[in-house]
Amino acid sequence: MSAFWFLLPFVLLVVVWAVVVAVTNTPMRVFPQVTDVLAALREMWVSGDLFRHLGASLRRVGVGTAIAVVTALPFGVALGVSPTLAAFFAPLLRFSVALAGIAWIPIATLWLGYSDSAVIFIVWNAMFFALTYNAMLGVQQIPIELLRAARSMGTGRIRMFFEVLVPGALPSIVTGLRIGLGYGWRGLVAAEIIASSAGLGYALFLAQTEFSTDVVITAMVIIGVLWLTMDRLLLAPLERRTVERWGMKAVSS
Amino acid sequence: MTALEISGLSKDYVDAYTGEEITAIGDVSFTVDRGEFVSILGPSGCGKTTVLNIIAGFVKQTGGTVKVGGRVVDGPGPDRGVVFQSHALFPWKTVLGNAAFGLRMKRVPPKQREATAREYLELVGLAGFEHKYPHELSGGMQQRLGVARVLANEPDVMLMDEPFASIDAQTRRKLQEDLTRVFELRRPTVFFVTHDIDEAVFLSDRVIVLSTRPSIVREIVTVDLPRPRTWRETTQLPEFRHLSNRITELLTGGAEDVHPAIDPD
Amino acid sequence: MAVTTRASARPKRTVAMPRRILVNPVVRTLGPFVPVVLLWWLLAELDVFPGAFFVGPDTVVGEFAELMRKGVLPGYLSDSLTRLMYGVGFGLLIGLPLGFAIAMSFWARRLTWPLLLFFQAIADIAWLPIVIVWFGFSLTAVTFVIVYTIVFPLVLGIVAGVEQVPRELIRAARSLGAGRLRVFLEVIVPGALPSLASGIRTGLGYGWRALVAAEIIVGTSGVGFMMFDARRVGDVAEVFLGMIVLGVLWYATDALVLAPFERATVERWGLVRQAEAGK
Repeated sequence: MSAFWFLLPFVLLVVVWAVVVAVTNTPMRVFPQVTDVLAALREMWVSGDLFRHLGASLRRVGVGTAIAVVTALPFGVALGVSPTLAAFFAPLLRFSVALAGIAWIPIATLWLGYSDSAVIFIVWNAMFFALTYNAMLGVQQIPIELLRAARSMGTGRIRMFFEVLVPGALPSIVTGLRIGLGYGWRGLVAAEIIASSAGLGYALFLAQTEFSTDVVITAMVIIGVLWLTMDRLLLAPLERRTVERWGMKAVSS
Repeated sequence: MTALEISGLSKDYVDAYTGEEITAIGDVSFTVDRGEFVSILGPSGCGKTTVLNIIAGFVKQTGGTVKVGGRVVDGPGPDRGVVFQSHALFPWKTVLGNAAFGLRMKRVPPKQREATAREYLELVGLAGFEHKYPHELSGGMQQRLGVARVLANEPDVMLMDEPFASIDAQTRRKLQEDLTRVFELRRPTVFFVTHDIDEAVFLSDRVIVLSTRPSIVREIVTVDLPRPRTWRETTQLPEFRHLSNRITELLTGGAEDVHPAIDPD
Repeated sequence: MAVTTRASARPKRTVAMPRRILVNPVVRTLGPFVPVVLLWWLLAELDVFPGAFFVGPDTVVGEFAELMRKGVLPGYLSDSLTRLMYGVGFGLLIGLPLGFAIAMSFWARRLTWPLLLFFQAIADIAWLPIVIVWFGFSLTAVTFVIVYTIVFPLVLGIVAGVEQVPRELIRAARSLGAGRLRVFLEVIVPGALPSLASGIRTGLGYGWRALVAAEIIVGTSGVGFMMFDARRVGDVAEVFLGMIVLGVLWYATDALVLAPFERATVERWGLVRQAEAGK
């Protein structure tokens, strides 16, 4: 039932789209018909372009995210534990969050060339600060009694990190991951448009220079579906799970 | 004179989880006279808050009528002011702004509504807090504001939904005494939902005792204790203990003859 | 990042000695930048990285003076800000009524919610190519993308905000004699404000990035264009300068406009505390 109500608006949208394009006789140069997009999708599927671009984009997001998690979590947790470090880095972090991602494209391409690593750098950069910041907030919100309890049971530093600090901050960390991926995903598309020769962003921009709106729309739909799937099927349930299962409260929805 | 008249009230609803139809309220009738304090008590889950929500117009009844001042009511209205368990104060309005809200809705001129609001704030002991925001008040003071906000609007009936349930025991005693004092002074008509037997006896002129689901009026107990009442003196009266025991019996006795196995239909 | 106010609300345990200096908000905010700039200077002076990739703060300041004198920077800056303003203006104009319309109507919500999620998911920048096809490399194209980035977080924020307004508050207003319009104006709008504010904040954060990306891609003027143009000719100092300008501008907007607004609603009305008490 809920799937029906989720899909119905899309069906309506596609119907409206088809009818409007047909009635107004819009040329493909301006906007493609539904069938054009399906044809473009099929062609991309058959030629393997779809998987080449998809694979490139997903690989970059994956690698960027992995590096961001590995680097941002210890840093964020350290900030959360130490008020001095937090006082020092909080203004810097806020400054950096504002810059994160796209603004780094010129310098990233200067340092790393028009390459895969430049795009991965952008994804990492876009996520790093939001993730750090939220990890810090999450740790700061762990009740002090919990930390004392753990310490009084003789928990060592490393165990403390994995068994108390990270799980305690998890709801906030997942929120940070969601925000960060939002920035990272946008950074990816922009970086691929500007600085690469594969990936969905690149496909999108290449098609634009040739006025093939059918491919442009196809790529947009793929980008949307991909993110929606990631966000709804992976991140939102993860967020809910940690929050609900452990009876904890998220920092912000 | 009758301020509130409930006749043949019933309420069915469909359980969101199991999908089965449940009769929450079987058949409830009673009246509340003008200037009378009437409480409603019942075993947990018997639908006493639902009765209040129906009277307030928040929930639609399945059958029966609610009359206020002789008129059949349909939907919420300023003739029935509600004091909520969660206080439900407007966080973005000051204490004065909250108290004057109803008067503003009635388009009372600013000078006059401020004077009225201040008068009622003083009545409940909130003079001097006019320009604070609700979150700056303690729970007990928030509920005083909840009462002042309704009284300032001068409704036909004040409906109170377990107003002191989320307040600590000591403050609760004080609030109950203050409510009695305000009641004895102004004589508003009050319909009070509670699960605290002593509270019901202490505050009320009459106590309606409901049965378990599907609830019916089991008995209406008249509380003939002298006013003004204070906890110290009133609880000393043998009559108080007697009434309290009697209601306890009515409630526990009712719990035995209804089991989940006995389905209303 | 609706969460910034939380950190400052937490009592800080600072070192005892120069307490008064550490407590000063200006020092606390700007202080950390001093060692960072010094480190940056040191790295540049020691030639840790080749000069073609990395320049010191002195060079950037020189570049700043140069571009200010030539009037290039003020011109580009005002171009960027004008675009952002147009985008935000139209974004609010569309987003506010749309958000409340969707939030208030069950059927509107049911029919548009999945679409909102989907269109929010198509990263704003992905619209740039098709928008260029429609409008060419123009101000309209850039504005379209910024409006797009702002409208969706705003609408989603409003809907979430309206949903969070406690039912009891609406009931209280109704039983105090408020009609539908009054309930809307006096309860639902103020109740949704904090969530709306954080929606604007998220939207502006995305909009800001979209602006830079659009300026790089559309490339006629603006700070984003300046940076990418400088990158093309290998002028590192100008790229660094562009990043700093962007950072300072956003920081200023955030600290001077957005954060105080959020603080005013959240702290003054005690909305956060109320939410916490409910857990």
